[in-house]
Amino acid sequence: MLELLYLSRLQFAITVAFHFLFVPLTLGLALLVAYMETAYYKTRDETWRKMADFWGRIFKINFAIGLVTGLAMTFQFGTNWGPYSEFMGDVFGSPLAVEALMAFFLEGTFFGAWIFLDRNRQKLKAFSMWMVALGTNISSLWIITANGFMQNPVGYELLPDGSKVIMTDFFALLTNSYVWYMLVHTLLSAYLLTAFVILGICAYQFLKRNDSEVFKRSFKIAVVIALVTAILLPVLGHGYAQYVTEIQPAKGAAMDAIWETGSSVPMYLIQVPDASTGSNSIELLGIPGLASFLYTGSFSGTITGLNQMPADEIPPVGMVFWNFKLMTMLGFLFIAEALAGLYLQKTGKLYKSDLYLKLMQWSIPLPFIAIIAGWNVAEIGRQPWIVYGLLKTESGISTVPTSEVLLSIVLITGFYLVLWALEYYLIKKTVVNAAGVD
Amino acid sequence: MQQELIKMLEFLTQDLLANIWFFLWCVIWGVYFIVDSFSLGAGLITPFIASDKKQRIQIQKSVGPFWGGNEVWLILAAGGTFAAFPLVFSKMFTFLYLPMMLLLIGLIMRGISVEYLHKDDSPKIQNILMWGWFTGSLVISLVLGVAFANFFKGLAIADNLVYQGTLLGLFSPYALIGGLLFVLISATSGALWIKVKTEGPIGTKAGELAKKSSIVVLVLALVYLAYSFAGIANFTVNYSATPAFYVFPALAVITAILAVVFAKQEKTFLAFCCNLGVILFIVETGLASIYPYMLKSSIALEYGIDIYQGASSQLTLTVMLLGALVFVPLVIIYQLWAYTLFREKIRETETVDY
Repeated sequence: MLELLYLSRLQFAITVAFHFLFVPLTLGLALLVAYMETAYYKTRDETWRKMADFWGRIFKINFAIGLVTGLAMTFQFGTNWGPYSEFMGDVFGSPLAVEALMAFFLEGTFFGAWIFLDRNRQKLKAFSMWMVALGTNISSLWIITANGFMQNPVGYELLPDGSKVIMTDFFALLTNSYVWYMLVHTLLSAYLLTAFVILGICAYQFLKRNDSEVFKRSFKIAVVIALVTAILLPVLGHGYAQYVTEIQPAKGAAMDAIWETGSSVPMYLIQVPDASTGSNSIELLGIPGLASFLYTGSFSGTITGLNQMPADEIPPVGMVFWNFKLMTMLGFLFIAEALAGLYLQKTGKLYKSDLYLKLMQWSIPLPFIAIIAGWNVAEIGRQPWIVYGLLKTESGISTVPTSEVLLSIVLITGFYLVLWALEYYLIKKTVVNAAGVD
Repeated sequence: MQQELIKMLEFLTQDLLANIWFFLWCVIWGVYFIVDSFSLGAGLITPFIASDKKQRIQIQKSVGPFWGGNEVWLILAAGGTFAAFPLVFSKMFTFLYLPMMLLLIGLIMRGISVEYLHKDDSPKIQNILMWGWFTGSLVISLVLGVAFANFFKGLAIADNLVYQGTLLGLFSPYALIGGLLFVLISATSGALWIKVKTEGPIGTKAGELAKKSSIVVLVLALVYLAYSFAGIANFTVNYSATPAFYVFPALAVITAILAVVFAKQEKTFLAFCCNLGVILFIVETGLASIYPYMLKSSIALEYGIDIYQGASSQLTLTVMLLGALVFVPLVIIYQLWAYTLFREKIRETETVDY
């Protein structure tokens, strides 16, 4: 049973993490390509068309994988998480069905239209891309609405026998404050990721001494987006940390490995948590009261420690802690990189700054890592609950033969590796070929 | 506002809503099978009728703008089941774990192959992707055909929703005929669509193929329907109670005959529409037989899951009904509009940039 639980979780983690590698880039590129298509329609400036073509090509390659791996998510709720689906169906099903109705049809239909419309019908082409962008962004609202309920259940009633939750207030689902925190945070991080992918690809072109206006203009736009989102993310994150501590104290305490209840809790610059002893094995360079400030809004605020919570309701502290640290550290690096980029670009030194360009080229994977880490914090931090406070993860899995789950993990993982190789090959080819031609 | 709206809609009892949603569920599945049939069919026949890259591009361009939007009907069918009948969703996917995984892989393979078919110039990669498109399409139509035949026949569900079926048990002769029938109807649908949408030799070849395959479809449809009514337990219960349902199998046979006739007379678009009719009416023939069960039990009827047992709460069903009333017409309008955007026939000389 335990083995089945871990296999089911592993399979879900693989499918969702892989899916989520493609979705953020889709979210950001859809908006940017739509903007470029419109700019070309308005100005008839060829550079805009070339930009829309180039980034559009990358968008197409990426969108296809996001679409097909999304299917895997829907399937898994039924195949591997049957009891969870029965428990949550009344609440979870409607956002998901509305997502298909409102968002997927828009994406699917207009994506086809955008690809196959030629430039003689530029207005319709631009319009179609806006519809795709609208679809992808609306889609994130609905899926986060469903996830928001799992993190912070609202507008429901638990049946007396505890077998399932019944929706009592649809608008409460939508106005769940968790949803809006998470939606803004997710969208911002998706736009940041997109900006860094663009910056990285532009950096590659500048290193190849490709001085095409396409990449100069792309860099100019992306660096501003990168800076704005990189600054907004921690600002918003601060409010989010306090909110998490309120609704999910265990996750909040695990994010900074705070074991004992106390006020004026310091934050350590160097810290290694050890779950086996229920304390930190290393604590160095503490900043007095900073943790209290981050999680309660006051330097003398009281935080409940993990050791004062029921042992069977605490998430795996190390995983939450390290993922959180990784995400925040990368967040600060992004601010620095964006600032440096803007400075170099304004002073005209950008195209000769090989060191910076190399750094940016190699930074492409970083926002992907940050996003997966952030997702790990949100989802692993919720453990052992699958629906917070209502249903434990172990009660949500389907009882299917372990061998079948194992087989499907092997199948899916192998298949995903092929997909990833294909995508990498095609995008790399697109980028490398763009260096030779204008 | 929510409360007032709910009050206004109170006449929609949960039982009534469960029935409405069963009806919508049947419609959504019907629409999915129709709209995806020609993109699946195009994938099924491409390796056999396209003699070069130019002709492959013609086929790809005839379905390229539409397949993605069409596949969403399948996601809606799955998502709608999840929302309106969570218990059915959970059991359907858990009982049929491996077939569903196979379907998923087929969907991924098809999607990626269609989208990437000509993104790389290497003939080797294009060849692999063409066969990926074929294999994906084959798996999707076969698995769905076999699965639906099993739904009509009933799954081995014992007391307390204990599933006693085996993987091998799903492949009874009846299910295999169902699977084969879906593959062939889709292939015919794809062939007729290509004939309608393209100019030049590829269209002629596709038309010739459809002339033959539509005859096989007619024969298989007759066998399948005869088997259903004569050999499947409890299939005729609803038909005896409501003889009007016989209109579905009757229309299935009539459209199958007309498809053969029109294909022979080269009235391709009419043949295409009739072939779509065959799919729709066969699916509805089966669905009409299982009501009020969504997962029929082949062991004893009362062990199955019916719509009342599986349905969500009154509020959820009402909210979703409102959503469907607003968005389904909207979706239909812009999907039809998309078809008018690409109504020209695709010539052989056309280049590709997608």
